[in-house]
Amino acid sequence: MEGSSDGVIVARVLRGDVDAFRVLVNRYRDKYARYAFHMLGNREDAEEALQDAFTRAYRSLARCEDPERFGAWLFRILVNRCRTLGARRGRRARTFVVDEGAILEAAEDHPAERNAWREEIDRGLQQLRADQREAFLLKYVEDMGYDEMSQLTGVGVSALKMRVMRACDRLRELLSEVHSA
Amino acid sequence: MHDNDGIMKEIARALRAHRPPVSASFDERVMSAVRRLPPHSRFRLWSRLTTPRTVTVIPLSWGLLAASVALFAVIGVARAFDDVQIATKPMITALFPNARAPQPPQRVQFVLVAPDAKKVAVVGDFNGWDADHASYQAQHRGGGVWSVTAPVPVGHHRYSFVVDDSLWVADPTAPRVVDNDFGVANSAMVVQEQK
Amino acid sequence: MNRGVQIVVGLLCVARTVFAQDARLSARLDKPTLTAVTAIVDSARISKLPTAPLIDKALEGAAKGSDGQNIITAVHQLSVRMGSAKRALASNATPDEINAAASALDAGISVRDLARLRAAAGKRSLTLPLAVLTDLVGEKVPIPTATNLVLQLVRSGVKDAELAMFQRNFRADVDHGADPTVAATTRARGFVVARGGGATTKPPE
Repeated sequence: MEGSSDGVIVARVLRGDVDAFRVLVNRYRDKYARYAFHMLGNREDAEEALQDAFTRAYRSLARCEDPERFGAWLFRILVNRCRTLGARRGRRARTFVVDEGAILEAAEDHPAERNAWREEIDRGLQQLRADQREAFLLKYVEDMGYDEMSQLTGVGVSALKMRVMRACDRLRELLSEVHSA
Repeated sequence: MHDNDGIMKEIARALRAHRPPVSASFDERVMSAVRRLPPHSRFRLWSRLTTPRTVTVIPLSWGLLAASVALFAVIGVARAFDDVQIATKPMITALFPNARAPQPPQRVQFVLVAPDAKKVAVVGDFNGWDADHASYQAQHRGGGVWSVTAPVPVGHHRYSFVVDDSLWVADPTAPRVVDNDFGVANSAMVVQEQK
Repeated sequence: MNRGVQIVVGLLCVARTVFAQDARLSARLDKPTLTAVTAIVDSARISKLPTAPLIDKALEGAAKGSDGQNIITAVHQLSVRMGSAKRALASNATPDEINAAASALDAGISVRDLARLRAAAGKRSLTLPLAVLTDLVGEKVPIPTATNLVLQLVRSGVKDAELAMFQRNFRADVDHGADPTVAATTRARGFVVARGGGATTKPPE
């Protein structure tokens, strides 16, 4: 079952095989955890949003129009969950929580240095407005085109371009300050 | 250091390369949540049956049977419970001419003064204690005053305000209900039909 | 055919209720709690008690983040109180009256006093008088005093709108620092006298 396409797995789940859903969870969990983590700034919130997205996707599975593209449909749900969760919690002081687990990630050449840089980026990201952060992540990290982003978010292409531009300007400013300090 | 032109590429590369670890129990938590939901093979049939349709009362014997099936389809939309009560009013009157039609919900104003709040919702036994229910979100009117006018069925109710999705606040202007089974007292009200 | 249709619609309404209950409760309760709560609700239905307050109590507990055992206890205790309330108010008590009476019992009002109120009120709805009584007791008016005040009001024939006014005035007085017992007694006297009775008038049996 693990090698089967999304469409095949969705069909099994809709016939009553609840456990088949686990394959989809496994398939998309890590990929989308990255977006949720950078959007919300900490692992706990990211996992809550991701779990919520999977649960909602299961509940609405019969309404997934293109089961072969379940992943994209799930991602749309996740983007919305991150917006809702972010809005609820955003008024507390935005602090980026250092993820101890992430520091022990798979070896790279200079893991400490790379992680410190990424943490700075994440701190910078959390200082962006939520809509700019969302647009930036979709464009630069999820590698989406503007038309696709517009379909996903319901926001017009020119507004999205503006948000990405402002996000880039602000990140450059923040990260240049860090490095020139 | 990084030049400005290359900095976006560096940032994107660093973020793409990052794979934040997910808790070992994550999959199991999702599956536990999913198993508590109605299983799909029944659910599909149910959703087909409960798609709202226009209902007409036909006052003949077979017509009454058809109308009751349509009534079943309308009633089955569990989440539209309040709307369904209103929608089925003429149906019930037609089928049972001597039955008392259900009273319509009354519009009730809820007001809370909470200058530091960012969000105020009304929850109660009329909306499943759901702080996200769209009809019961208060608007800030200025000066820390939050209010919403929302439908509440005629009768006895328990309710509360939820501030910023985390703080439960009884209505200071309303009677309290003594049963605070869950550590937070609620308010009580009796809504009467406006004649 | 009329009777046949009544049966069909009755069964469908039960199915509606069961399904609505399943969907909302099963979305918010874990399995063991759901099983226990469903059993209590089914038992209440068999006893012809209103089930909506029990479901609402479970939903309230879930919304407040309470653990399963607390939810089960609260729902069970409410069903017991509703059973007592129904017996005290007689079999034709409305769901709202039973709900309000259950709150009154929780506040410490006795089953006997519920029965006295029923006798005094006749066919008039007891929902608001019970809510007012519960409120007075909640504000620390001694139970015998509060019960007698509400009995007098009911016997003097005050309408629900006047009773609601009495409650608002009472609360305003308390908010301004008045002693609750004095405020309640004073306001009640005003209503009873206005209707041609007096604080010392012996209530008709």
